[in-house]
Amino acid sequence: MKPSSLIAQKERGALLQNQRGLAWLLAYSGILSAFALLLISNKELSLLDNAQIVYMMAGTVTAAGALIAVIMGADAFAGERERGTLVPLLTAPVSPAQLLMGKALGLVSAWLLMYLLALPYLWAVGAGGQNLLQAIFYLALFGTPVVLGFGYLAMALSARSGSVLSSMLTSLIVLLFSASPLLIGPGLRNSVIGKAIDAVNPFSGALNTFDSVIIDSAPFSGQLARLALVLIWLSITFLAARVTARHPNFR
Amino acid sequence: MKHLQVLLLLAGLLLGSGLAQAANLDLQLAADPKNPSSPTMGDWMHFNSVISNTGQQAIDGLVAWISLVEVTAGHEQPMDLEDWSAHKAVTGTTLAPGGSLQTNWPVRLIKQGDYRVVISATDRNDKTVFTSPTIQFHVAQKPVVESRRILPVALGLPLFIGGLMGYRRYKQHHAG
Repeated sequence: MKPSSLIAQKERGALLQNQRGLAWLLAYSGILSAFALLLISNKELSLLDNAQIVYMMAGTVTAAGALIAVIMGADAFAGERERGTLVPLLTAPVSPAQLLMGKALGLVSAWLLMYLLALPYLWAVGAGGQNLLQAIFYLALFGTPVVLGFGYLAMALSARSGSVLSSMLTSLIVLLFSASPLLIGPGLRNSVIGKAIDAVNPFSGALNTFDSVIIDSAPFSGQLARLALVLIWLSITFLAARVTARHPNFR
Repeated sequence: MKHLQVLLLLAGLLLGSGLAQAANLDLQLAADPKNPSSPTMGDWMHFNSVISNTGQQAIDGLVAWISLVEVTAGHEQPMDLEDWSAHKAVTGTTLAPGGSLQTNWPVRLIKQGDYRVVISATDRNDKTVFTSPTIQFHVAQKPVVESRRILPVALGLPLFIGGLMGYRRYKQHHAG
């Protein structure tokens, strides 16, 4: 088995077999449950249109997934360093590129698990309504690059700074800023600054696509520019992780 | 007397030319015959408008837009069409004298209540805004979130993961 596959397997196992990994999954599931329960406990929210709720759930899944990805990414190199396992890892017959690939694949597996965990929630809030299948498809297509991108950004910062706290905090600030469209209404985002941020923000790209396809039933052809945006985001962050992982911070 | 006649003639000409330049639009609005008879939240409704240029001059830069007003007792307010409609306006159209523009306005019903829809139009040169007759409709409430679906998932999954954590801890404790 390739070293990168072995590392990926270890990372995947850490999420399912490790108490800390399970705690992350519990937190992720807790966020989705809290949102779902809010829908049935609040009259105004329960009256929202079905498509609107599915859109909000897709946005919440993406935000919660990115949050866990940031935690995992920040732990990738700096966590190994802080636990004293980074040097033995790098002295083993594993190249930095293979180490990064293993960590990156581990993150993909973690997101796959989170995506599968989100499906019952999407079904619970969206069954019987419109565009549930579209929501599931577009969450995979747009949520994956956004979530993995945040994970790779945290990974890049983790390798560069060598500190879990520092890389996590920086990544969380970027995530909080990017995910602000979830909190700010579309009306406020119609300003010049709002539109400019929307044009370059991958999170906005994913959210606007969810809005467009789930609520407005817009076709795929209208989403190509946003798809390019999230793929560029994924490429840039992965490239950044690849460059910094060549010389991770040991100090 | 002769001066007065000339002045009156000039005034008449100016007034006449002013009237001739003013846009003259006729707006008609009708609900699509295929609309649901008892619309409920989540349904689509379509409205067909016909904007006719009844004046003598072409109208350039015509802008027509749809407005929705909630008239539910105690909740009277103009609606933000963000989630209701992706087709909010027709812009930049030119209408020749006697010409008309037919537009279909799809609206997705997001919230229960009583609503009125109206189409407004204006053009680049004239300051007048023309409006169509309004159409009023009622959107019936539809409970869209079902607790019998949500509760098992929202409570079951965290409990399952928590149970898995407990099981692993128990196993580790007994293995040690």
